[in-house]
Amino acid sequence: MGRSWKPLARDLGRILKALSGMFFLSIIVPLVWGEYYAIPALILAGLIPLGFGYGLTTWCSEPEDIGKLHGMMIAASGWLLVGLFGSLPFYLIAWTVAVDPYSGLLAVPASAETATLAAFRDPLNSFFESMSGITGTGLTMTDDEAVLPRTLQWWRTFIEWVGGVGVIVLTTAILARPGSGSLTLYESEARSEKIHPSIVSTVRTIWWIFILFTFFSISLLWLAGMPPWDAINHGMTGLATGGFSVTDGSIGAYNSPAIDFAMVPVMILGSIAFPVHYLILQGELRNLYTDAQTRWIWGYFTLGSIALVGFLLLDGTYETSRIALTDGIVLTGFAATLFQTVRFGLFQFVSAASCTGFGTTGIGDWSAPAQLTMSLAMFTGAAAGSTVGGIKLIRVITLVRGTAFRIQGVFYPETAVRYLNLNGRKLSEIELSREFEEASIIAFLWILFLAVGLTVLLLTIDQSFTLENAIFEVASAQGNVGLSSGITGPDMPTPAKVMFLFNMWIGRLEIIPVLVLLRGLFDTFNLYQ
Amino acid sequence: MNPKDLPVVGTVFRLGAQDRVLDSFLLLGPIVILSFVVLGRNAFTISVTGAYLLSFIGYVLYKGIR
Repeated sequence: MGRSWKPLARDLGRILKALSGMFFLSIIVPLVWGEYYAIPALILAGLIPLGFGYGLTTWCSEPEDIGKLHGMMIAASGWLLVGLFGSLPFYLIAWTVAVDPYSGLLAVPASAETATLAAFRDPLNSFFESMSGITGTGLTMTDDEAVLPRTLQWWRTFIEWVGGVGVIVLTTAILARPGSGSLTLYESEARSEKIHPSIVSTVRTIWWIFILFTFFSISLLWLAGMPPWDAINHGMTGLATGGFSVTDGSIGAYNSPAIDFAMVPVMILGSIAFPVHYLILQGELRNLYTDAQTRWIWGYFTLGSIALVGFLLLDGTYETSRIALTDGIVLTGFAATLFQTVRFGLFQFVSAASCTGFGTTGIGDWSAPAQLTMSLAMFTGAAAGSTVGGIKLIRVITLVRGTAFRIQGVFYPETAVRYLNLNGRKLSEIELSREFEEASIIAFLWILFLAVGLTVLLLTIDQSFTLENAIFEVASAQGNVGLSSGITGPDMPTPAKVMFLFNMWIGRLEIIPVLVLLRGLFDTFNLYQ
Repeated sequence: MNPKDLPVVGTVFRLGAQDRVLDSFLLLGPIVILSFVVLGRNAFTISVTGAYLLSFIGYVLYKGIR
């Protein structure tokens, strides 16, 4: 399997150059918040990928079209490198605060030194945080996000926001790639839906929709009562279905039903595919129910929330005697319990199924059925072509309807010509077989790597955690969700951190590109021998 | 002077939604956010932000049902 590495190097260089722009753009945050000591770290963090990127693109300046193999390898290695270089601000700022090498304006204030920040002096913790951010997972190595420097709060938000759309989508939008390789790269990043015939126009459309909805989300959260800085960060990470927060208790820190309910539509916006958003913004509202994935989102989110609320009600998890909604509106007795249960159950199910990972309540002590309902939601995810993780609803639809189609086929004569209507497409038996096979392979690999992650976790974590805690945590990492049953943290064993890094990486790229990259590396370096 | 000749406006009109109203929401978004960041929570900023959200939703619905 001889191959040229030059197209890989050229495109990786372009991705790193785009990443360096994110560092330089972020310098405005320490300037506004007076965290001047963070500026040299950000500049250095930007210069390193810029240097690598410039070197790689100069070395491979000749345009060369890429095939599917190269596209997958670029996507897999690109996301890994972005995760790696994205860890630099965490690492460099943590060490800047520890060493305090500057004086005068750049001197580090005493309040910046916290145990939470000190955890990032370990490069593995920094890498974990960065990978969790860029993949939109939201699992964190911090104990208390609220005490992090604003610069790092912003960096966590920014990488989740960009990661929600995709680093290749970012690179394609700002550094339009010559040749036909843009489409190959775009498809390798777990996207296939095109809005326009041109892939560059498609990614630019994705970006303006995403930016417009970001403004909408930030404004909505502020109006619901969130402070401006919090609204900016949570609006960005909520829409990107990432889940990083700037508070210690995630959205639960506000203890506000208005904020909880305002966040639900933001997460749902992030769960709907961009082509559907585009059509809706063009006035074609019927796509809210004619598009199969979107229709399933309504049904699946509703039924899942009802099931979870039912379990929580039966368990009596949120028994409340009295709750004051506003001045003058007070609920008592069962109405108060029902309100609190619906509030937490709806939020948590949408947070899990949209793979956002925001929390409004502790879930580590929920009953096993409630936790497993959440695990199932994280496994499935929402629409392909949106910002969510999981195996995606379209694959679940394909598996469910494909299975039914096969069973029904037994009752027809062998000569019968049959078609299946799937999301507006009329599939022949051969086409259905191909799609069914693809969905089955992804689902199989998903379960396989969940099992591997679970095994590593069970062998390494504290025995006080239950099996459902461990299943929940692995499903959360691989589904890029970020909800935690309490296992993930800076004290987590190193093998479990490395396993979760791998789970988050393969989860974001839907596994196959990572396996292709590993196979390519094994072949090239003869690692089989 | 044509608005599309202005630096940011021109870029948004060229690369944005190709719909002047949606492009305007794209341009107004940062101004609305900046207003509540700078001026804080008061009747004016609440009204401006509320109007921004409602007019956006209203416009999408209007396009859908017209």
